Amino acid sequence: MKKKLSGMMMAAVMLTGVMAGCSNGSGTDSASGSPAPAASANTGGDAGKGGKVTIQFWHSIGGKTGEYLQAMLDRFNKSHPNIEVVGTFQGSYDETATKLQQSLAAKTAPDVSMLERAYVQQFAEADVLEDMTSYMKKSNLSADDFVPGLMGHSTFNKKLVSLPLNRSTPIFYINKDLLDEKGLAVPNTWEELKKVANALVVKEGNEYKRYGMTLVHDSWYPIAFITQAGGKFFNDKGTSLGFIDSGEGKKVFSFLKDMQSTGALYYPPSQNSGNVAIQMFTEGKVGMMFQSTGVMGSLGSNVKFKMVTAFLPKDKVNAEPTGGANIVMTSDSKNKQAAWEFVNWIMTDPEGGLQFVLDSGYLPFTKKMVETQQIKDLWAKEPNRKVAYDQLQYAVDTNKSTVWPEVMKEFHSIMQAIMYDNKDIDASLQSFKKEAERILSSK
Amino acid sequence: MISTSLQTYAETLRFPPTLVPAVPQWENFVRAMSAGPFMTYARNSVIITLSILVIQLLVMIPAAYAFAKYRFRGKTVMFSMILLAFMIPGQVTFIPVYLMMADWGVIKTLIPQIIPFMSNAFGIFLLRQYFMQTPEEIIEAARLDNASEFQIIWRIMTPMALPALATVVLFSFVSHWNDYFWPLVMTDSTGVRPLPVGISMLKETEGISNWHIIMAANVVLVIPILLVYTFCSKYIVRAFVYSGIK
Repeated sequence: MKKKLSGMMMAAVMLTGVMAGCSNGSGTDSASGSPAPAASANTGGDAGKGGKVTIQFWHSIGGKTGEYLQAMLDRFNKSHPNIEVVGTFQGSYDETATKLQQSLAAKTAPDVSMLERAYVQQFAEADVLEDMTSYMKKSNLSADDFVPGLMGHSTFNKKLVSLPLNRSTPIFYINKDLLDEKGLAVPNTWEELKKVANALVVKEGNEYKRYGMTLVHDSWYPIAFITQAGGKFFNDKGTSLGFIDSGEGKKVFSFLKDMQSTGALYYPPSQNSGNVAIQMFTEGKVGMMFQSTGVMGSLGSNVKFKMVTAFLPKDKVNAEPTGGANIVMTSDSKNKQAAWEFVNWIMTDPEGGLQFVLDSGYLPFTKKMVETQQIKDLWAKEPNRKVAYDQLQYAVDTNKSTVWPEVMKEFHSIMQAIMYDNKDIDASLQSFKKEAERILSSK
Repeated sequence: MISTSLQTYAETLRFPPTLVPAVPQWENFVRAMSAGPFMTYARNSVIITLSILVIQLLVMIPAAYAFAKYRFRGKTVMFSMILLAFMIPGQVTFIPVYLMMADWGVIKTLIPQIIPFMSNAFGIFLLRQYFMQTPEEIIEAARLDNASEFQIIWRIMTPMALPALATVVLFSFVSHWNDYFWPLVMTDSTGVRPLPVGISMLKETEGISNWHIIMAANVVLVIPILLVYTFCSKYIVRAFVYSGIK
C-alpha cells in the first residue's frame, strides 16, 4: 500500500518537475553556455562571505561505506579552501530519487546528487539534469576516459547527464573447498552450473542440508540470465518486452524452476533476501552464490573457506547487468562551476574517486584509475576484485527506459508468482507483458 | 533484537540464528553511539515529540470539549472534516506540505516536523466521545459555582478524561518517536534529523550491514517508548477499575 502510494506521488511530482524544468530552460542555458568567469558563477545564492561557495551533495550511502564517502568529502574540502561540499544522507536509492523529485519541484534541490543509474533516464527526460559535455571539454575530459561498461545510463538525447560513481555488478561467488571436495571445476556455462549445483546438494530424508547455489530475489539476476540467453529486456522500439515473445523468458524461468525443484537452487525469501543468501553462503549451506560485487570485501573477511569469484556462467553469450549509482548535476544549481570542480575532482584526483574505490570495494570507473599502481597492487593482493572488473567487458544495460522503475515493480511481482507460488510461467509472462505494454504506452 | 545487539558480527551471520550471544558485546552500544551525531539526533527526537505532544494537548482538549458540549453552526460539517483528516495518510499530503515549508524557508529547521502535527484528528475524535459521556450535571454544577469555561475544561473535564488522554498520548508519542518517512522527506540536513533517520544511516546501501550495531541503536530507540508505555498503561488500567466501580 505504502509503496503504491509513494509510486503515485512520485509520478505526480515528476509532472511538476517537468513543468519546472520547462519554465527554467532559458535560465540554465546562460549559465552553461559561454565560458563564464569564475566570479560570476559564484554570484548565486549560496555564495557565502569571503567568496566561499557551499555545494550540497545528496547521497544514499550509509554504514561503513558512508564513512569512506564522508572521508572523501573531507579530503575535497581540505584541499579546496573556497568550496565546501556538504554531503547529506537521504535514505535508500529509491528514497533519494523521490526526495530529489520533490526538491526539484520546490526549488530546494542540491547542486550535485547521487542517483541510482536506472533513475537517470527518468530525470533526464524531465530535463532537470545538467548536460556535462561542455564542462568536460573545458577540463579535458571525455566520455572515452570512462570504463565503457559503466556508461550505459549516462547519455540521454545526446546529452551526457551522469557519470559513474559507486558502481557494482552481480558476480559469481564460489566456495572452492566444497567444489574441491567433490573434484568439481568452476562452472562456465549454464549446463555446467546445473551439474555442479546438483552435485553439491546434500539431502537427508526430506530435508535439504545443503543446496547447490543461491541468488538474491531481485530483477538483476533474471535480467542477467535473459541477456546470457541472447534476449533483450525491452524490444528495440521500447514499446514492449523483447524477451517474452522470443522465448528467452520461458527458457530462463524453466531453468531456474528446474534447478529449484532438485535443491540445486535455493531461492531465498523476498524479504531481506540478500542477507539470507549471504548467511547461507558463509555457513556453507550453499556452495555457490550470485551476489553483488559490493559485498566482496566484507565476505572475504568473514568466510572460513577458500572463496573465489568467477564470471557469471554463460548460455549463448557472457552477459551481466550493472548496478549502483551515478553522480549528476542539477540544472537548477546556482553554483555550477564549483559543482563541476567537485565532480571533476572525484573523477580525476587520486585523492578523490580512486581512494573511495580502494576503500569501499566498488568498481574503478575511469581508465586512468585502472592503470594506477594502487589498483594494480590491490588486484595482485585480491584477484577476486580483478575478476569483477574484467567481467565489465560483458556489461549490458538492456533495461534502459524512463519507466523502468514502474516496470520493475511488475517484474518483481511475476518473479514472486513464479518462484514462490509455482504459477504457470507462460501465463505469468504474458500478463507481465500486457502490463508492461500498458506502462510503456502511457509514458 | 536485544540478543543481536550483544552479538559479534560473525555471530549475527550464523544460520540458523543463535538466541543467546556467546559473549555479550557491550561495546556495540558505544560503537552505535559514536557512529554519528547521535546526541543531536536524540535531542531532536525529544524536542520534536514533546513539542508535538504539548501543542496537541492544547489544541485537542478544548476542541473536543467544544464538539462534545456546544451547539454551533457548521458543527457536523467541521467534525466530518476532522474525521476526513483522520483518514488521509501522510504520504498524500507530504508534497503540498513540503512545498509550503520550502516557501517559508524553514526546511533546514525542526519546524516542518512539528507544525503539520499541531492537531490530532484521532485524539479529538476519541476525547469527544469521552466528553460526551460525562453527565451534563457536572458542568451545570461547575457553572453555578461561577467556574469559567476555561476552568471547566482544565480542572474538571481533563482530569476525568485521563484514561483517554493516556491512550492518545501513547499513540501520538509512539508514532512520532518512531516516524521515519516524514522526517526523512522534510529535512535536508543531518543537524535537524531525529533518531530513526540517524539509525537508518548505519545500514549499508549495498552489501552487508552491521546488524549488531544497528540493533544496539534500535534498543536505545525503543527504551523511551517502553517507559512512556508503562507510565500510560497505569492510567489506562485504572480507567477500567473505575468503570468497574461505577
